[in-house]
Amino acid sequence: CLHTSAVSTPPEQNGLPPAAPPPQVVEAEEDEDEEITLKYGAKHVIMLFVPVTLCMVVVVATIKSVSFYTQNDGQRLIYTPFPEDTDTVGERAVNSILNATIMITVIIFMTLVLVLLYKYRCYKVIQGWLFVSSLLLLFFFSYIYLKEVFKTYNVAMDYFTLAIIIWNFGVVGMMCIHWKGPLRLQQAYLIMISALMALVFIKYLPEWTAWLILAVISVYDLLAVLCPKGPLRILVETAQERNEPIFPALIYSSTMVWLVNMADTDRPKRNSREAAPPQETQQAPVATPEPSIPSQDDGGFSPNWVNQQQHQLGPLQSTDETRREIQQMPSARPPVEDDDDEERGVKLGLGDFIFYSMLVGKASATASGDWNTTLACFVAILIGLCLTLLLLAIFKKALPALPISIFFGLVFYFATDNIVQPFMDKLALHQFYI
Amino acid sequence: MNLERLPNEEKLGLCRKYYLIGFAFLPFLWLVNVVWFFQEAFIKPAYSEQLQIKSYVKRSALGLLVWVTVLTTWITIFQRFRAEWGEVGDYISFTIPLGTP
Repeated sequence: CLHTSAVSTPPEQNGLPPAAPPPQVVEAEEDEDEEITLKYGAKHVIMLFVPVTLCMVVVVATIKSVSFYTQNDGQRLIYTPFPEDTDTVGERAVNSILNATIMITVIIFMTLVLVLLYKYRCYKVIQGWLFVSSLLLLFFFSYIYLKEVFKTYNVAMDYFTLAIIIWNFGVVGMMCIHWKGPLRLQQAYLIMISALMALVFIKYLPEWTAWLILAVISVYDLLAVLCPKGPLRILVETAQERNEPIFPALIYSSTMVWLVNMADTDRPKRNSREAAPPQETQQAPVATPEPSIPSQDDGGFSPNWVNQQQHQLGPLQSTDETRREIQQMPSARPPVEDDDDEERGVKLGLGDFIFYSMLVGKASATASGDWNTTLACFVAILIGLCLTLLLLAIFKKALPALPISIFFGLVFYFATDNIVQPFMDKLALHQFYI
Repeated sequence: MNLERLPNEEKLGLCRKYYLIGFAFLPFLWLVNVVWFFQEAFIKPAYSEQLQIKSYVKRSALGLLVWVTVLTTWITIFQRFRAEWGEVGDYISFTIPLGTP
């Protein structure tokens, strides 16, 4: 889901503000505020395009070059036990529906477990879980990825160098994501692990199951975030009640956000700037379903609870109010410290990255129209993201980022694959250029 | 994490931690340290902790250089002589290219 941690701050008034600003001034300010909101928001929208595009590019590039991710080795995830290479279409449909159902049940269950853990303040458990899953992703999946890339390019590699590479990649990744690291590097790592997850999904989910899961997940996202009883909504509201930031989760933030006490009404000056939840460290994406090859621990993590990460709704509200409050305060107050700049940004859950990339990756892997379909899906997802961010600017609440994009993506995929592509082929066949 | 917002002592602490942790076979971490704190150490106008940060950055760069030399040498040797080492070569190989060596 998507959440913006507030909008720009208007320039500070250093002089004596009028004790009671006339209503027109306030209104004009309001309009200006809104305009600034939208403009600023638009900037952050664009800032989200880049990482989403990068993630998709990485996934598509890998799919195209490394055949491992499109090979069907006959292995499946334990979450999707029903095979799809059955004799009849009917059986296949039934199997894929069953697979999708199992998967979505697992996801719902995981989300509920998460919400319960959060409600009963078992923060350590949650953090441990996130830590382990990011460990898995950073070390194990990148090991496999590297192995396949080396095999594809026919490069010899010795264990020593490989160990050094994986060790460095993993440890620096863990530090950047869970502790402190340069923002760009953290963003890069988050993109990489989202891409890795998406690749795992593309490899291990059979065709029809994958498309079904995408559709069902979007619906689930919509319900979980917007319905009053939805687990994610509960999560956000609980966090708000406790006045804490949602535990650091797998969220990509377009800018640096600062640790501050939200909703601190007796110190409005501080609030004018901050208000964003301390999401400066985002953790690794949630877990990943274990591929059935490597035995051992059962990740059993649902990769998607991530996309349901919410953030506070609180901050936005406090900003508008506190801004006005400040303007009405006597000028004797000390100037607000901290620069303004871009402290707020838009945050997008990593699950969203994963599913967008999965859609585009699957499109590039299996479409008959090859690049046409891939590009169409890519454009569709970006349009969906734009619309979602627009809605975000209008509603100013946490919103699910999946439904619109995935819906457009799916529509474009099936339409392009089945209608546009044969059309283009025919045209090319007859050398008819339009 | 935006360095701008941190007080100087914390910057120093961070630089130092990165430097120390880099000793655990983590040249990449030293690289990150150098790149990230480069501006702080050399370009910004002087402040009290800057001298120490400078020294950490320099030492990280040195360590990085050492690692790079070692790794490059090893990789060159490995790639060049792997085929000739026969069994031992195969044993330490993670992936073995197909086709003629």
